[in-house]
Amino acid sequence: MNFFGVLVGLATLLMIGLGFFWVIRGERYFGVLWWPYVLGLGLLLVAGSFFVVADWASALLGALGASVIWGSTELKEQAVRTELGWYPFYGQKIHPPLADLIRRWPAPHL
Amino acid sequence: MVTFTGFFAAMATFLGVWLGHVLVRKVEARAVDLRFPVAVCVAAGFGLEFGALLAAWRPLSAALGILGMTVLWDAVEFYRQEKRVRLGRAPARLDNPRHARILATCPAATHISWLDQDPRGHQLTPDELQVFAARFSGMEG
Repeated sequence: MNFFGVLVGLATLLMIGLGFFWVIRGERYFGVLWWPYVLGLGLLLVAGSFFVVADWASALLGALGASVIWGSTELKEQAVRTELGWYPFYGQKIHPPLADLIRRWPAPHL
Repeated sequence: MVTFTGFFAAMATFLGVWLGHVLVRKVEARAVDLRFPVAVCVAAGFGLEFGALLAAWRPLSAALGILGMTVLWDAVEFYRQEKRVRLGRAPARLDNPRHARILATCPAATHISWLDQDPRGHQLTPDELQVFAARFSGMEG
């Protein structure tokens, strides 16, 4: 019996659950315009997982990267949820560098 | 030396989350009885976890373990999605008898898909909500 996959699966479920928390908080204070940076961070984490020798660390880093990539696609819907009043709306968001350029790009969502 | 375990884990995570997000919404909207898709998810989830236990190659074990856990969570997510429909946070389908019952009994339930819009950068006013609802109903009709 190899418990590696089951334990990695449980850890990933926890990371996805935490993803809901940081997407809600992150969107509230930073806003949807950070999505390219979040996407880039997720891709970097996945790329970094190639260079980690330990299977455990590589698997957890890859899963974390994928959950961060998913978070970048969730920011748009979360922004709409706050504007609809389903979650608290914070008007004084910290905008990212190149915000005006990012505004012209369609934010990804699943 | 390159390790592929992380890449397999990443692919399984993203696929699992995508399945959870997109397929659960679509199946919940069309299923008249949620017990069948829930049973499929539970069976598939445990099957994938069993596969993860048997797989000796760690990248495959990780992918199966992650997919299994996300599919098991999807079984729960069907009921969470139905709750969103009751609260009006996900659209009810008029041609689904289960949703028709929800529409008849839950005052907040609606056929409007409120999330099918781009963020505007401010809280929506009652007028803007009304315009969106009218436009959405018009597009549907």
